[in-house]
Amino acid sequence: MIYFLLVLVVLVFSFVGQEFVPAIAWAYYARLLLVQTTFYCAAVTVPYPVMLLLAAATGFVWDARYHVPVYPEGSAHAELDFGFTMFLFGLMGSLIQGVRPLFRRGRWELPVFLIGICTFLSLVIQYLVISFHRGGLYLSTEMWFQMLMTSLFSMLAAPLILLLLSRLAKWTGYRIRLEGITRKYRYGDSI
Amino acid sequence: MSRINVIVLIVFVGLLVWVFLFGQSTVSKIQRGAQEVFGPVISGANRVEETVSGFGKETLSAVELRAKLDEVSRERDRLRLEVLKVDELVQENNDLRQALNYVERSPLKLVPARVISRKPSNWYNTLVIDKGHAAAIAPDSPVIVPVGERAGLVGKISEVIGNDSSVVILLSDEVCQVSARIEGTTEQGILSGQRGALSIMPDLKLNYLSKDAVAPNGRLVITSGAGGLFPENLLLGRVKEFTPGAIAGEATVEAAVNFDVLENVFVILTEPTNASPESPPVQTDLSRTEVEK
Repeated sequence: MIYFLLVLVVLVFSFVGQEFVPAIAWAYYARLLLVQTTFYCAAVTVPYPVMLLLAAATGFVWDARYHVPVYPEGSAHAELDFGFTMFLFGLMGSLIQGVRPLFRRGRWELPVFLIGICTFLSLVIQYLVISFHRGGLYLSTEMWFQMLMTSLFSMLAAPLILLLLSRLAKWTGYRIRLEGITRKYRYGDSI
Repeated sequence: MSRINVIVLIVFVGLLVWVFLFGQSTVSKIQRGAQEVFGPVISGANRVEETVSGFGKETLSAVELRAKLDEVSRERDRLRLEVLKVDELVQENNDLRQALNYVERSPLKLVPARVISRKPSNWYNTLVIDKGHAAAIAPDSPVIVPVGERAGLVGKISEVIGNDSSVVILLSDEVCQVSARIEGTTEQGILSGQRGALSIMPDLKLNYLSKDAVAPNGRLVITSGAGGLFPENLLLGRVKEFTPGAIAGEATVEAAVNFDVLENVFVILTEPTNASPESPPVQTDLSRTEVEK
């Protein structure tokens, strides 16, 4: 329980940190999505119900801060509707839950790679939704680079955030449990 | 799947549906609240950005500052005289218009604003400015900056978040579409940005020109005033290339405004909208504008 509260605090700090993250011109204005990366890292370490609750809370605050209300002709709902980030976080968090057993064994490679993939996927989904509303699919090289660079930044930051979370888990004595497995594992235990 | 997982999943989906059903006013209220909560952090981040970007810039000495102040004072006095002259001309102009039964048009009302955040969104080219409801700014109000002697269009207000902040959607975004014409010709079209254009100065597209349009390179592109949303004669850019099509022509336009270095902008205050394509165009000469403090 204490660990979950600490994860929440880390997410709050990630929102503060996000304000200071600049868009990088040479990377086609890609930026580190600190909140997303922190959430995906947290999703590796917490049970499914907690992940969903975190997805709802984090997605809501993200949309409250960064939602751009662009309304298609004759529609009362924005292209990327308020709450869409909650949906994306829930979806990506569910995918990431699949690599919890690996993380529990202290293997970070796949979780970090999957965090990059999820960042990329969430951007692609957003772009496809926008394209669906506007009609036509226009794909530029710059845009692909921007999405790739954003994912790369996430993958670079993920190990640091995972390290922080694993330290917090050890400090609070938090154990990663998997459904259907009776044995309880501490972070770093080998199977 | 355990029972608790199913229950939480159902709650999550219910929550999603509830949030998706939020109306525009509810979303505005939530965003206003978030803006207030994040306000100190945003201004802190802005100060850090200013400090970082200020590195390497030389600080002026007291003597240089005095000289600068004197120069600015002289310039102010000169401009005051010019404003007096312009006021006389405006008065004379208005009298002549009335005499000719022209529709009397009020000058633009401008609100100066400062950019406090750049491109916070991934997919939209936006800015956040420090003026909102308190300055009577409304959605769709045009945002301009001086470009030489003319007013250049930056974009339009997408959303007024609170009393002291609004989101500006830039002309470089595909969503911001402007009725435009090529100066010195009768060619009109719709100007907009391109989806996924991420460079510093993305080119704009002027669509729906006639297929044999006269659009020489370098010719200015300005707002036509059609639609009533944007005043006419605002500078948009220069023709870079014209491509005739089977039915219509398309011109690539180099934007007149550098969207990457904007620090101060002006918002044109609009009346409660009842504008129509037939409504008379308003004056866009910057010298006739009235700037609110």
